[in-house]
Amino acid sequence: MQTPVAQRPLSVYDMEAILRVTRGLAAPFDLTTMLGEVVSAAKQVLDAERGSVWLYDAATNELVLEVATGIRPVRVPTGSGLVGACARERRIINVPDCYADPRFDPRVDKASGYRTRCMLTLPLVDHKDALVGVMQVLNKRDGVFDAYDEVLATALAAQCAVALQRVKMTGALIEGEKMRQALEMARVVQMSTLPTEMPPVPSYDVCATFQPADLTGGDTYDLALLGERLLVVLGDATGHGIAPALSVTQMQAMLRMAFRLGADLETAFLQVNNRLAETLADDRFITAFIGVLDPATHVLRFHSGGQGPIFRYKAADATWERYKPTSFPLGAMPLATLRPAIEIEMLPGDVLTVISDGIYEYENGRGEAFGEARLQVLIAANADKPTAQMLDLLMADIRAFAQGAPQEDDMTAVLVKRQSPLWARASFDRNFDALESMTAFSATAFARMGVDERLLPIVDLAVEELFTNMVKYGVGSSAPVRIEIGAIAGGVEVRLIDDDVELFDITRMPDVDIDAPIEEREPGGLGLHLIRRMVDSVEYEYVKERRQSRITLRITGAGSAARS
Amino acid sequence: MLAIERGADGAVVLNGRLDAAQAPAAQSFLDQVQGLVTLDCGQLEYISSAGLGVLLKTQKRLQATGGKLRLVRLKPHLRDIFTYSGFDQLFEIEAGS
Repeated sequence: MQTPVAQRPLSVYDMEAILRVTRGLAAPFDLTTMLGEVVSAAKQVLDAERGSVWLYDAATNELVLEVATGIRPVRVPTGSGLVGACARERRIINVPDCYADPRFDPRVDKASGYRTRCMLTLPLVDHKDALVGVMQVLNKRDGVFDAYDEVLATALAAQCAVALQRVKMTGALIEGEKMRQALEMARVVQMSTLPTEMPPVPSYDVCATFQPADLTGGDTYDLALLGERLLVVLGDATGHGIAPALSVTQMQAMLRMAFRLGADLETAFLQVNNRLAETLADDRFITAFIGVLDPATHVLRFHSGGQGPIFRYKAADATWERYKPTSFPLGAMPLATLRPAIEIEMLPGDVLTVISDGIYEYENGRGEAFGEARLQVLIAANADKPTAQMLDLLMADIRAFAQGAPQEDDMTAVLVKRQSPLWARASFDRNFDALESMTAFSATAFARMGVDERLLPIVDLAVEELFTNMVKYGVGSSAPVRIEIGAIAGGVEVRLIDDDVELFDITRMPDVDIDAPIEEREPGGLGLHLIRRMVDSVEYEYVKERRQSRITLRITGAGSAARS
Repeated sequence: MLAIERGADGAVVLNGRLDAAQAPAAQSFLDQVQGLVTLDCGQLEYISSAGLGVLLKTQKRLQATGGKLRLVRLKPHLRDIFTYSGFDQLFEIEAGS
C-alpha cells in the first residue's frame, strides 16, 4: 500500500523533539546502549508503543535483531518479509492494519503474546548511502501512523543511521584496542618470567635473547643458578597470543619450583610434563629444552621435549655436534618414564646453542628460510667473542637476511659458552707510556686464564723488550702493536704482532758476550739476550702481504734457564 | 711507576719498576750521584734491559773516578736477570735478601 508523502513541513516543535532526542544519541559508544537509545527515541517521537532496530550484516546480507542477551539473535535475509523488503527496496513501508496485510508474519506475535496493529518500517541509511539497518515502530497510540509520521520518522532515521554507523566504527576500534591490549598483556606476562640479568657462572659466559613477534608466540627461556648449577631452558608453546604465553609462564614457574625443591632433571621433566598434559588443551603443547650444567665438572645433562635444533660448537676442532630430542613435547601426553638424559662435557671454547624455530624458519621476501647453516657459520666465526655480542651479531644477520620481511614468530636463542681462556688480545700505541697498561693487561690475562703467576714477570720482561725494539726500530709505522697471550699446557704463549714494518728477524741477531769486561759492555742487545735465557722458545715470522712481523714466545714452568 | 730518592743513610732507594718508560728519569737522577753509591733495591719490583742500561752507564761513569754502585737487598728474581746478563760480574751485589 503506497502512502502519499505529506504536504506540510515539519513543525518547529517536532524538529526540536528530534534534535533533543538525537543529542542523546551522541553520547553512548557501545552498540547495545545505542540501539536502546534509538528505539526509545523512535517511540517517543512517533508516540509508538514498541520499536526495534535491525542491523544490517553486509557479510551475510542479512538483517539481525538482537532480542536479548543470551538468546540468539533473529536473522532475516534481505528481501524477506517486511523488514527484508524495506532493506532491499530502501523505502518506508507503512502498514496501518497488519493482520489485513499479507506481508505481515503473525508468528512473532504468537510467540510474544503481543498484538501488532500497525507498523512503520523504515530503512536506516547513512550519509554515504550505506544501509545500516532497519527501524520498526509498532502500534501508534491513539491511531495509526500517518504520512506526517513517515516524514518525522525519516528525519529521525537519518540521525539514527549516522549514530549507529559511528558506534559500529568505534566498536571496531575498541575491538582492535582490546586485541592490542590482550597482546600487550601476553607480552608482559611472557617477559615477566624471563631473567632480568644473566647469572654469573664461573668459567662460563651465558646469554639469551628473546625477540617477540607482533602476534606473540609462546617462546620463553630461562637461565638461572640453582645453587651451584645452572638451569638452562628454552620453551616454545604452540599458537599465538595470550594462551601460549600463559602456558609457558606456567611451565617456567613449575620448573623453577621443582628444581628448587630438589627434584632431579628427570623428575622435574616428568612432573611438569604430566601437569601440563592435564591443564593444556588437547591440541596444545610446549616444546622445551631443559638442561642442568655443573660448572665444576663442566657436565651438562639435558632433556629435550621435542625442542630443536640443539647444537654444540666444539672449539677444539671447529665442528658442530647436534642432539636429538629425548622425549615428546611437554604437555602432549602424560609420561611415566623417560629415555636417559643426554650428557655432554663442555670443553673450553664450546658453545651450546639452543634456538627456537622463529630463527631458522625466518623467511625473507623470496621465501627462503634463514636456516641452520647460516646460524652455524655465524656462531663459528664469532665463537671467540662474548655471547652477548654473538647474539647481537646473530640478530643483525637475521635482519639483514630478511630484507624487510616481517617477523612471523617469536625468536629466542640461548648460548652457553665455556670460556676458553685460550687467548687474551689487546692493542697498544707505539710509545713507552703503553708499558703500564701492558703489565695490567698481562696480569688480567693471567688471572682470567689461571696461569701460574710465577711466569708473569718473565712475560712482562719479554713483552717489554720486544715492544721497545719495535718502537725503536719499526720506524715509519704508526700502527699499534698487538699482543696476544694464551694459555698452553704448562704455561703461556705470547705473541707480538707489528703491522706495516720491514722484516726484522730478531732471532737472527747475534748474541751479546756477557763475559766481556765493562768497558766493552753496551746496553744494546741485552733485551734479546734476556729473552733467550728466560723463555722456552722464540719464533719469528714475517707476513709479506701485510708487512707484518709476528714474534711468538713460549714460556712454561719447565723453562730453559734455572729459576727459583 | 718508579720512585727514586736518597734515603737517610745516603743510599739511593729505588721503589717500583725500572722499565723503558722510567729509564730516562732514573738516568737523570743517577747522573747526579758520586763516589761509592749504595743502591737500595729492597723495593725494586722489576728491571728490564733499559734499566740495566741506566745502571751500566752510571757504573762506568762512577768507576772512572774511583767510585761504584753497590746493590743491596736485590730481590731473587731480579738477581736472575743480573746473572743472565752477566751484570752480576759488573756490580757489587750484596749477598742475601
